[in-house]
Amino acid sequence: MNAKLKETILNPIFKGNPITVLVLGICSSLAVTVTLKGALVMALSVIVVCGISSLILSMLRNTIPGRVRIIVQLVVVAMMVILVDQILKSFEATYAIDKQLSVYIGLIITNCIVMGRIEAFALGNKPWPSFLDGVSNGAGYGLILLIVAFFRELLGSGTLFGVDVLNWMGYVPNNLVILPPFALILLGCIVWVQRSIQKDLQEK
Amino acid sequence: MNTNNNIYTVVYTSVIVVVVAALLAFVSQSLKSRQQANEKADTISQMLTAAGFGTKAEFQKIGNAAVLDKYAQEIAEAFIVNPEGEKVADLPLDEVYSPSQLKAQNYKLKGSDVPELPVFVFKNGLTVVPVYGAGLWGPVWGYVAFEEDGVTIKGAYFDHESETAGLGARIKDDPAFQAEFQGENADWEADVKVFEIVKGGSPKNADGSEIMDNRIDAITGATMTSIGLENAIQTWLKGYSKYFSSKEQPAPAEEAAEEVTEE
Repeated sequence: MNAKLKETILNPIFKGNPITVLVLGICSSLAVTVTLKGALVMALSVIVVCGISSLILSMLRNTIPGRVRIIVQLVVVAMMVILVDQILKSFEATYAIDKQLSVYIGLIITNCIVMGRIEAFALGNKPWPSFLDGVSNGAGYGLILLIVAFFRELLGSGTLFGVDVLNWMGYVPNNLVILPPFALILLGCIVWVQRSIQKDLQEK
Repeated sequence: MNTNNNIYTVVYTSVIVVVVAALLAFVSQSLKSRQQANEKADTISQMLTAAGFGTKAEFQKIGNAAVLDKYAQEIAEAFIVNPEGEKVADLPLDEVYSPSQLKAQNYKLKGSDVPELPVFVFKNGLTVVPVYGAGLWGPVWGYVAFEEDGVTIKGAYFDHESETAGLGARIKDDPAFQAEFQGENADWEADVKVFEIVKGGSPKNADGSEIMDNRIDAITGATMTSIGLENAIQTWLKGYSKYFSSKEQPAPAEEAAEEVTEE
């Protein structure tokens, strides 16, 4: 049991990463990775939404009528997303970042990772493993987001978390890095690195 | 228990939806005052940005309380004018018009009702007025700051609810677009548009100087947002035109001189 739980937590981080292996959540990972701060808030939001939705739906799993289960999942996920959005709007520190992420917080609802994990895992497992599965899938998503955002903010603005890192020595920020296509190129590189480390992912 | 029974399914979904709706309504109500405080500080920092007291990023860094302080220091008077340019009421100095309040006035401005048009005058002589209209996906609004003569634009700041990131959202995110408004002159007398946002902006002389000073280069890939913003500016500034043209008189010499050079 313990080994299985460990597998549940570790698998989505690397071997079964939602972005680089399952190729889910690409849209938002291109859109919100211009700054590390934005990526961090987005990653935390997805972790919270994914973890708590999985927990709630796993607790309800024996009572949900089979024919409307997708609708019930959607209602719970939408509720979590709206809660996260409302809370981000209420704090001075996160208000601006919520405005910057604008529609992408709301679009967590459509992120395939959330519904996918609920349908595939939470509806067939006990609450605690389901919660961990949701959190670690969110974390696997967030990890890639932070890696992409690190390079994009460093090369595109010369800063990290808004703190000047390269500009003081005369670095000229590269505007291509700010644009979404560069995020896709970076994602491609990450997939490349991962597949050369993990040979069983390579297609023959 | 048979969870596939019709009555069970209907009751179950109803209960879930009611519980979720109640929870969300409760959370929304309890967080409302905090959200409104944030929105107010945001609106004030947009007006201060338009008036050139700093950049939006700087105001974000100093926090809500400092933004309110700065505003209290700089604001001289705030009042409401009608479309005839007459002052009808004073506004408390700590009150600003949120986008939802602007929306209500926008309906009146376009309809037959008499709108209440807010005017914010700063101690250094700048006058800031709001604009509001429809973008592509949702409302767009902003603040335009005029110099003391009521003609020359000191600066502008625009915001939006849900324009496309990287395209329409550039009205807010691209300082270069907002900077284009600086130094332009509004044409209060003309029946034509006070402002035009068109491809290429103003036609230029051989030396690169602009021939027309009320044209702004539109945003590539965001035609609908540009048109929406143009209409917003047009509708609202027309509403203020009598107020501003009554202010204009003290500086007729400057106007005449400009016309000569244009010819």
